[in-house]
This record gives sequence, structure tokens and C-alpha cells, in this order.
Amino acid sequence: MTSRSVNEAAANGATPKVVVRLEEVRKEFGEAEALAGVSLEIRAGEAVAVMGPSGCGKSTLLNMVAGLDRPSSGRVVVHGEDLTGLNETGLALFRRRRIGMVFQFFNLLDDLSALDNVALAAQLTGTPARQARRRAQELLDELGIADRRNAYPAVLSGGERQRVAVARALMNRPALLLADEPTGALDSHAGEQVMDLLLDLNQIGQTLLLVTHDPRLATRCANRVVDLADGRVAGERSLERAG
Amino acid sequence: MRAVWQAARAAVRRRRLQTLVIALVVLVSTMTIVVALGLLDAATAPFERAFARQQGAQVTATFDAAKTRPGQLADTTRMPGVAAAAGPFDQAVATLDQPVTVHDPGPVTVVGRADPAGPVDRVNLWSGHWATGPGEVVFSSPPGLDHDGPHAALGSRVTVGGVPLTVVGLASSVSQSADAWVSPSQITALHPTSVQLLYRFAHADGDAEIRADTAALRAAVPGGALTATQSYLDLERAVEHVPSAFVPFLMVFGILGLLVSALIVGNVVSGAVVSGFRHIGVLKALGFTPNQVVAIYLLMVSVPAVVGCLLGTALGDLAEQPLLQQIFHGVDGAFLADSLGLSAWVNIVALLGMPLLVVLAALLPSLRARGLSAARAISAGSAPRGGRALGIQRRLSATRLPRSVSLGLGLPFARPGRSALTLAAVVLGVATVTFANGLAATMTAYGNAEEGNGSYQVEVDTGRAEFGMTPPTHTDPQIQSLLGSLPGAVQVTATTYAPARLAGHAKGLNLRAYRGSSADVGALVVQGRSFHGPGEIVAPPGFLEEWGVSLGDRLTLQTAGRQEPVTVVGETLSGDPDYVFTDWSTALAVSPTLTGRQYLVRLASGTDVGAYGRAVRAADPGLRPSAKVTVNAGATTAIASSTILTLLLGAVAALGVFNTVVLNARERRRDLGMLKSIGMTPRQVTVMMVASMGALGLAGGLLGVPLGVLAHALVVPITGRAGGIAFPAPMVEVWHPGAIALLLLSGVVLATLGALIPSRAAARLTIAQVLHNE
Ligand SMILES: Nc1ncnc2c1ncn2[C@@H]1O[C@H](COP(=O)(O)OP(=O)(O)OP(=O)(O)O)[C@@H](O)[C@H]1O
Ligand SMILES: [Mg+2]
Repeated sequence: MTSRSVNEAAANGATPKVVVRLEEVRKEFGEAEALAGVSLEIRAGEAVAVMGPSGCGKSTLLNMVAGLDRPSSGRVVVHGEDLTGLNETGLALFRRRRIGMVFQFFNLLDDLSALDNVALAAQLTGTPARQARRRAQELLDELGIADRRNAYPAVLSGGERQRVAVARALMNRPALLLADEPTGALDSHAGEQVMDLLLDLNQIGQTLLLVTHDPRLATRCANRVVDLADGRVAGERSLERAG
Repeated sequence: MRAVWQAARAAVRRRRLQTLVIALVVLVSTMTIVVALGLLDAATAPFERAFARQQGAQVTATFDAAKTRPGQLADTTRMPGVAAAAGPFDQAVATLDQPVTVHDPGPVTVVGRADPAGPVDRVNLWSGHWATGPGEVVFSSPPGLDHDGPHAALGSRVTVGGVPLTVVGLASSVSQSADAWVSPSQITALHPTSVQLLYRFAHADGDAEIRADTAALRAAVPGGALTATQSYLDLERAVEHVPSAFVPFLMVFGILGLLVSALIVGNVVSGAVVSGFRHIGVLKALGFTPNQVVAIYLLMVSVPAVVGCLLGTALGDLAEQPLLQQIFHGVDGAFLADSLGLSAWVNIVALLGMPLLVVLAALLPSLRARGLSAARAISAGSAPRGGRALGIQRRLSATRLPRSVSLGLGLPFARPGRSALTLAAVVLGVATVTFANGLAATMTAYGNAEEGNGSYQVEVDTGRAEFGMTPPTHTDPQIQSLLGSLPGAVQVTATTYAPARLAGHAKGLNLRAYRGSSADVGALVVQGRSFHGPGEIVAPPGFLEEWGVSLGDRLTLQTAGRQEPVTVVGETLSGDPDYVFTDWSTALAVSPTLTGRQYLVRLASGTDVGAYGRAVRAADPGLRPSAKVTVNAGATTAIASSTILTLLLGAVAALGVFNTVVLNARERRRDLGMLKSIGMTPRQVTVMMVASMGALGLAGGLLGVPLGVLAHALVVPITGRAGGIAFPAPMVEVWHPGAIALLLLSGVVLATLGALIPSRAAARLTIAQVLHNE
């Protein structure tokens, strides 16, 4: 794995440092309260799965951590940076450096090849095209889809698309990988491949925050599960990973 | 039906911006069309229009009062073949003592008439009131032509035939039936010797019919009683060349306006439907029939379009009248201003054509959507992909350009149809700007040449005793040296007019002779050279054409008992076809009693024109100095109208770009969301969206500038031919590399201006939601 973000603290055996800290985060959409005061800490090297019924606020929580939306109140600190103090540009730069995101519906650009979709993440930061493509090629190699690099999303299978999306998320060596229902749109076989991929990533030190409905995904990849209900943390459990 | 109406209303409510854009685009487009067609309409056959509006006299007849019995003239108005008539009005020719608007001191025709209306020659009384009481007079003057303040003609006191009168009104008659009007009781004080009657006939198409009508009149009165007749066809021929000079370039603007408006409206409306494909799929899934879906979409775009069309027509009508007045202000001939008015056909074209265009533009994609299955329609909502577009994206991705720019440059290829329509609008917009610029440059150069390039600043006329003015105390040569000795004068040229005849021709011509500098003529010469000595003349293009003469031809000037051979050595830019320019000695050879009539004074730069004028009056009260008029009506008109139409067309084209960005951003909001999620900054989003249109703008510049240059090259000579102007090459080739570069950029500027607001809106869009769902 090229990801050199293998957490040094963990390797040294010291208490891993906190990557995400939510303090009493609330989010209201008009009358409706999507998050009703969530506090949560995620340490480097952890794989945390957020579970709960539909509409309980999982995606909203993920948006807060990614800086895609702002809390109505409370604080979100990621990798030492207080997101509430950042403007839009600051948030964009933060995402670029610290966050990789994977979505249920892949969100690839239809008119770019797999390789260019992955390279894009680095090119936005000003990395020259040649260099960005080289790294993208390496990532696709590692994720086992190098042969599909010149294919366009329309002809890729769901599992292949999701692996391209994961490659894109890893492009800038993020401190934190966020995934919202990454297997939600995949059949069981493709879903398993993606689960294995996430597990591998975590095992080499990638901090992971997953949102899922799927208990199999949670037990396979996560070492901690946070149960969300009506915008609140209803419970937490540590897991011995199955995989 | 209720469900359709409700769904359409809900759709409109959810698409406030799009609805607003449709209404706005249709509004500005309709306005452009109304103004452009209105201009075209006013400039096409203005005489006919004004003539119809005023119920002009087809024949204006003057009878000798002494040779007719009372009642005989009134009987002619009831002759068979006479459709309508006005009069008899008593008429006198009397001497006016001072200038009144377009009338110089000297003999004027005054008619006694009780009111400006009537069955024939409904005079346009555009200022003041009609002369009804004793001591009141109304002068003829083109609408709008009066001075402000102390020099205003209205209210001024004049003497006509020795009778003191107050100017109480200014009016214009297309039939040119009089120089001035007074009340029927007032005219007796002017000792009328003739009687005027104004006729319209059942048959008056063409000279032959007018001749027959006139012959019938002549036969109905005693021999010699009908002293003069004036046919409206002669009037029309005399004036027609002036406005027709404007028709070619107004045509170009009219066509450009129609094209750009149609393109943009089509693009905006069809874009609204195409971007609604997903929504259409959802509607179908909800159980709407295909026909209901089409109905919803037609309603959705028709409502704002109809509102925009109505408002645009109303605003266009409102703007048109003052605009046209402004544009045609000062153009020769009252008829032009008199012809202005709302024309029904323009409004009908706008009110019927625009909604038709909108429905057609909406119907085509709606019908496509109608045929799509619900599932296909839903998936068609995202931007489609094409083979060529992908290759272009791949190549852009490998360039050294910042990624936000290269992504933007690729965007237009994802929607080739929409991009092509937008590009076409930008091309036409740039072509318009280019054409208008070239036109303004040509007209400015023309105006400068007409004014003699500043060869003189003051004209000094001499008072003439026969018109009741103080004559100068100095003789002609004395005046010239006197004017030259006053402080500030650098050069004084005497000019005069002398009638003459060309051997072998019945029609007369006039010589305009110069003593001193002829720089004034020199600046006007576009072919050959100015005259350098005796026996040389310079002629305007109209003269050369009318008399079938070319440069270098030798002609013989004749007056009673004298003749003088001359050579045509030069052609002027423009000018009255009946006047040629000569050296003083040439004129003297055919007209030995010639004296200076007007003196042209060039002043040292910085000299106060007013102070010089006062010095002239103090030196000899018989001299009448005036500052040279510097406005050039033709140039002003051309520049004003092209500026206004350019602004309107530019606005329409920019709105088209605006709309394209709005649609692109809406269709690509998932992509935008993803790009933001991987760290694209708001500035990068703006850059990407602006770059996508900037590329179109650059292409638009590259295509539009040559198109505009071509249109200019084609239209200017046509304008010149229609207006009797021989534009020399430097006035046609007005393109400097710097100006061309700026014009090339105008497309980018237009596209950037149109794209900026929606691009920034796209950059601020909250996209958290679209990423997880859909
Ligand atoms: N932009 C928004 N505007 C209004 N309400 C919103 C918005 N985003 C989320 N909500 C509401 O907030 C609540 C939480 O939404 P969220 O998307 O976080 O749920 P979720 O747990 O991700 O559900 P699912 O499992 O279905 O994805 C829901 O009631 C939702 O309707
Ligand atoms: Mg969710």
C-alpha cells in the first residue's frame, strides 16, 4: 500500500491521536432536527461504522465531518482543525488535504476515463497531469482495476466504479476516509470486494468513518459501531472484526 | 386538466430562476425585435408613410387670383376624379427679414389657413398653437428643429412683407404646401395675389395619371389661371435618397436582432425542457399521460414567455418613439420625423411570432420526452456523453492548464446542441458589435471630412438690403482683408454662388467659387485632386452620376453670352448634385459681376469664437458671423441607432450565456457536489464555469469578427450608393489591429459577463444533499 499515512503514533505504541472530535453537534433543517447534540471521537487508525434507521441523521453527520455542511451549533474538529472557523475556501482546502469521500452512487464524472477521474483529485491541487496520472495508475493497480483505467464510468460495473471512487478518495493521502453506504448500490459479490478493500485499507492504518445500514459491512470492516437514533447517539459498541 | 395546471404551477414555482430567465430573455428579445423592425419600418419609404399619415396633397395647385371668378375654384374640388380637396386658401409671396429655423431671410410663401387639419394636408403642428389671431404666424420646420433659449424661433418677432408678426407655432407639411401660415383675415395684409388648392385624386399613381389630373384642373379654369402645380411624386423623388441611405444598415441590425433573439429564445426554452427530462420521468411514473406531460411543459414555459412577450412589446413601443425621434433628429426633411409612429405590423409580428417561436422551441424536445419511457427519461436527466466529447476531455485532462480551466473547457462538448446555439448567439453578438464599430468609425470619418477637418471655424454672411437687413459698409475685397486683420484670424476665404449651364443641357447648375484657401473643398476630395487654378472644377458623386461625367472630362460652362471650358479634376465625398466647386477666376469668367457672399474664417487654435464674432460685428454691423455647425446629422443618427441596437443585442446574447450556465450548473449539480467534496474551492468552481463559456466567447470572437467585417464591407458601399456618398477606401478600411484585437475579446467579455453571476451562484450552491441521494 502506498498510503504512507499509516499512523506513526499507532506504530510507536502510544495512544493514537484524535482525528475527529464532535462536540454537541446540532443540525436543524427549519423545524426538523437532523442532529440533536452528537458528541463523538475517532482516533487515528480506527474504523468506525455509524448505523441507524433511515432518516436518523447518518449522512448529515458525515457531511459535518467532511465540512460539506455546517452545524447549527456545536464544534467539529478534524485533524486539529476547527471546521466551524473555516470559510468555504478554507473548507475546500481542508477537504482536499484531509478527507477522502466515497458515496453510495459513486459520483464519477461521466466524461472522464477511470484514470482521469482518479487523477482529478490531485490535479485540482495543482499537481501536473503526468504526475497525477502516474499516481492514479499506481492506485488503480493496487485496487486491482488497472486494466480498466481507460474505460468510462458508463461501461464499468458497479463494483469497479466504487473501486475507482475509492482510488480517487485516496489520491491525496487523506487522514480520514469517509464512506456513505459504499456497498448500498452494489450486489453482494461486488459489495464484498469493496468491504475487503476498506478492511485492507484500515489494516494498513487508514482511519475510516463508514455510514451503513448493513450489519455485515459494519462487523466486517469496523472495530467500533456508533448507533444513531433520532439524531442522537443511542449506543456504542466495540467489535472484534470478523474479517 | 386540473392536475396538469397544478403540476405546471408547481414546476414553475420550483424553477423560479429559470422562469425568470425565460421571461427576461423573451422580454429583451421582443423589445429588440420591436425596436429593430420599428427602425427599419420608419426608414423604409418614410415619405409614403408620412404622406399617408398627413393625407398629403397629391397636387398642390396655385391659381392666379385675378384670372378666376369667385366660386370657380371651389367648383374644381367637386370635379369627378377629385377624391378630396382643401382650399381655396389665399397665398402671398413676401419677404422675411430674419432667419427662422430652416428659412433664410428672403422671399417666403405664406398661406392663409384657418386650421392645420382638414381633408388634405393635415399639417403636423408640433410646437405652439395655430395662427388664428391678428399678428400671428406659424412657420414650417422639421419636427424638433428649434433652438432653446433666446434664439428660439417660437415666440420670436419677425416681419413678413413689412408686417410685424409673432411666431406662435412651428409645423411641418409633407406636401411642403407653404413656408408659413397665417389666419385667413391676416393674409389680406400681405396682399395675396394667388390662391392655393390642395387635391387628392381617385387616380394618382404615377406621373401619367398626375399629368391627366392636372390637365383636367387646367381645363376647368380660364386659360392661364393655373400658374403652378406641384406633384407629390416630384417631392418624393427629391427627398427619397436621404433616408434610404439608412435602410441597408438598419436591415443588417434588423436581421441580426431577429436571428439572435430567435436563437436565444429557442435555446432557453428548449433547454428548460431538456433539463426537465428527469422531472418528466417522475411525472410519468406518477401516472401522467404523455400528452399531459407535454401540456405541463408547454404551460411551464409559455406562461413566462407570454408575460415577457407582452411586456417586451409594450416596452419596445414605449422606447421606440423617443428613440426614433432621437435617432432621426436633424436628418434632412421633415417627412422622416413625421413618418415615425408605432406600426401595427411590427407589434403583430412580435406578439404572434414570439409565442409561436416559444411553443415550437418547447414542443420539439417535449415531443422527444413524450416518447421516452419513464426510466429512460429519468436517466436522461444527467448530461449525456458522446464519443468526440470524451476524446476532447482526455486531451484537456493532459494539458498544463489548471484543472478547473481544462474541466471548464470540456463542458461545452457535453451538450453540443446547446453549446452550438449559445455559440451562434455569441457569434452574432460579436458580429453586431464589430459591424456597429465599423459603421461608427466610417460615419465619424465621414462626418469629419464633411466638416472640412476644422479648416474653418466661423462663417460670416453679409446683410442684404433687399431682405431688409443692414448691408455691410465695406466692399467685398475690403471685407476679406478686414476679417483677416481681426485678432485670431489665420486665413479668410471668400465664397460665392453663380448659376451656369452646361453646354448641351437644359438643366442649370451652380458654381460654388472660392477666393483664398480651398482647404474646405480639399478635405472633401476623395478621387483626383482639388482645383488648383482656372478652368478646373471638382464635383460631387451625385453630379457625376446624374450628368454622366467622369474625372478628366472636359465640359463647357455657359451663361448668357459667355462660355468657359473646364476640366473635372476631382470628386468629392458627397454633396448636392447640382453644385460644383471652382476657383474664383473660373466663376468670374462666366459671371463677371460676382462678389463674395460668405467668408470662411480659420482661427488660430485657442481663439474664442464668440469674441471674434463680436469683433466682426463691431467692425461692420452689416456682417453676420456665426460659428460653424459641428453636428453631423447622418453620422449621429447612424452611431446612435447602432449603439442602441448593439446594447440590446449584447444584452440578449449575454442572457443566453447566463441561461446556458444556469442549465449546465443545474444538470451537473451532482458533479459539482462531487468536485467540491474532493476539494474544489468556490473560486475554482467559478473559474470552471466561466471558462466553459469563455471558450465559446473566444470562438465567438474568432467567427463573429470576420462576419462583422464582411457585413460592414458589404453594407457601407450600398449605403453610400443609396445616399449619394462616395466613401473612399480609408473610410471603408477602418480596421486597426488594436481594434480588431479588442473586438476579438468582446466575445470573451460578453460570455464572461453572462456567465459570471450564475457561475458564482454555482460555486455557492450547497451540494451536501445531492451527493447522497438521487
Ligand atoms: N438539506 C436538507 N433539508 C431538509 N431536511 C434535511 C436535509 N438533509 C437532511 N434532512 C433531514 O434530516 C434528517 C436526517 O437526514 P439524513 O440524510 O442525515 O438521514 P440518513 O440517516 O442519512 O438516512 P438514510 O439512511 O435514508 O440515508 C431527515 O429527516 C432528512 O429529511
Ligand atoms: Mg443517508
